[in-house]
Amino acid sequence: MAAVNSYAETPQERYQGNTPAAAPPSKQPLPAAKSVDTQSVLKRLQSELMSLMMSGDPGISAFPEEDNIFCWKGTITGSKDTVFEGTEYKLSLSFPNDYPFKPPKVKFETACFHPNVDIYGNICLDILQDKWSSAYDVRTILLSIQSLLGEPNTSSPLNTQAAQLWSNQEEYRKMVEKLYKPPTA
Amino acid sequence: MAEEESAQKMEEFRSMAIEDDESEQISGSFICCVCLDLLYKPVILACGHISCFWCVHRSMSGVSETKCALCRQPYLHFPSICLLLHFLLLKMYPDSYRRREILTLEEEKKEGTFSPQFDALTWRSGDEEQQKLSHSSQSHMKCSDPNSSMDTGSFRNGEPHASKVQSEPIEGIDSYSPSSPKQDLKQERDIIVEEESAHPIGSDQSCKQITASDVLCAECKQLLFHPVALNCGHVYCESCIVYPADEKLTCQVCKSRHPGGLPKVCLELDHFLEQQFPEECALRRLTARPRLAISENGSQKSRNSGADNELRNSSRSIDTSATHFGVGCDYCGMYPIIGYRYQCQDCIEVIGFDLCGDCYNSRCKLPGRFNQQHRPEHKFRLKKPRYVQNYMLRLVTGQLDDGSTSLVFPNEGSEDGVLLTAPTSPSDVQEDAENGLSIDFVFEDEPDSEHQNNSQSNSN
Repeated sequence: MAAVNSYAETPQERYQGNTPAAAPPSKQPLPAAKSVDTQSVLKRLQSELMSLMMSGDPGISAFPEEDNIFCWKGTITGSKDTVFEGTEYKLSLSFPNDYPFKPPKVKFETACFHPNVDIYGNICLDILQDKWSSAYDVRTILLSIQSLLGEPNTSSPLNTQAAQLWSNQEEYRKMVEKLYKPPTA
Repeated sequence: MAEEESAQKMEEFRSMAIEDDESEQISGSFICCVCLDLLYKPVILACGHISCFWCVHRSMSGVSETKCALCRQPYLHFPSICLLLHFLLLKMYPDSYRRREILTLEEEKKEGTFSPQFDALTWRSGDEEQQKLSHSSQSHMKCSDPNSSMDTGSFRNGEPHASKVQSEPIEGIDSYSPSSPKQDLKQERDIIVEEESAHPIGSDQSCKQITASDVLCAECKQLLFHPVALNCGHVYCESCIVYPADEKLTCQVCKSRHPGGLPKVCLELDHFLEQQFPEECALRRLTARPRLAISENGSQKSRNSGADNELRNSSRSIDTSATHFGVGCDYCGMYPIIGYRYQCQDCIEVIGFDLCGDCYNSRCKLPGRFNQQHRPEHKFRLKKPRYVQNYMLRLVTGQLDDGSTSLVFPNEGSEDGVLLTAPTSPSDVQEDAENGLSIDFVFEDEPDSEHQNNSQSNSN
């Protein structure tokens, strides 16, 4: 067996053993250069949506954008007893065609003053990168980001100012309040 | 206003989702964590977690070890489909399973690569002759009525030799199908029609009733207790696994070697069995305990060391110079192949047919993992890893790990051209010669470059 959906070998090379020049259809398009059938991605996103709606987790929600189930908008609220209490953040999630084998791209749409979020809203979170597993879903992503808010990783910050300020929770809270712009509906 | 809109949208999605809801309540144990649907052609990994055939295959990196989506335990081998579970699910959720089957087949047709096909008739009868002749132009499995075809004890003789073949989808495959199985085909169809009319599908008779005979251990022929699945897909009680002194775990049914140490108990299946057969399980627990304890005393040490060895081997042996990236062994499922790789020269399927060195040297070779029409008389060729391509591939996958790898080498011609200048280490060639394998050693470079020219002129 060889990789179905990727790089391994070409049909041309396969055929050449038998009949070097004449027979093989060397113009045959590369089989399945696309990765996974988008139908299965669609199905998976639909069931995720269903279970997300059913679960009713407090403080997180997400819904596809109009007419495009590959782009979702999510919201998370800051957890109680953290400096982010009472704030609400909008996020965008965009799913690749080979989801869930590759993670979605997740960004903050609302500015968020946080050690692991840069000014463009990019998030530094291992499960969205090398620690991604196809068993994760939108719900676990949002819950992870929600808990990341209260428990940042200050050792490798994207926002150094926030990382330095983190030790002073009172000042930090003031900063969050100062910079917080509630998302417009 | 947004509320209303989203409520409306929600309704739409709901109806979409419900469209293929067959009102079968699928136990959470049998939902694949990757596709979030009913498991289809389930594969049990060594860590005991279950996923669909295609979900596992697509998860596998082909470049290095893959980590289980649930527990991150690394694995290098793509296990065979667990037929016991396959037919169990088919029996329990016939409608959902059929739906999965139809959709999967559609996708497979689009990709031109097929998962193994199992024939319930074959499963039941174990009649190889019939299986060989049952090349079918029908694309669906013939287990349209699991109720009648899944009679109890059916898989006692259930060797998974059931790679039934799809004859129509791949061009040029006709030459491989046997002369004229039309007669058989017709007979088979008649059988199906009979069965179908006897038990119309969808009638709510309790065909979901499973019995202990559906879930028997391959060794002790009793109800499975703490089930573990080997790489070949056969399921045993944990206590029934015989760990031989030479530390090579071999399946007692199909005699294929299980790579790695003792597999972990498949907990989902275990919980399911506990629920379904509480009394039997309690009984087994009483009788199995002492037996397990005895075996533990004797063999625990060797088990562990075996597992450790394998782990060490595998992590050390991701030796890039000997790794065939993106190529897997069709017998043991090692993916990528590390070490020797033998490529079948006569299999015409796009996915090809390859064996690793160990499997090439063992005598039994199952049909391919992807329903290839491999025959014993086919010729193999020893292939060398493609150094430059491998190197670049690793570079690319390391840097942009976002699925764009498939797009990086869209044209086969270009990197073959690079290969011309690839240094082939002379020591490797020597090694091969020393091994005295009677294979024609063909260097890739020349025909490739010819081809490159061909394809280039064609494409212009």
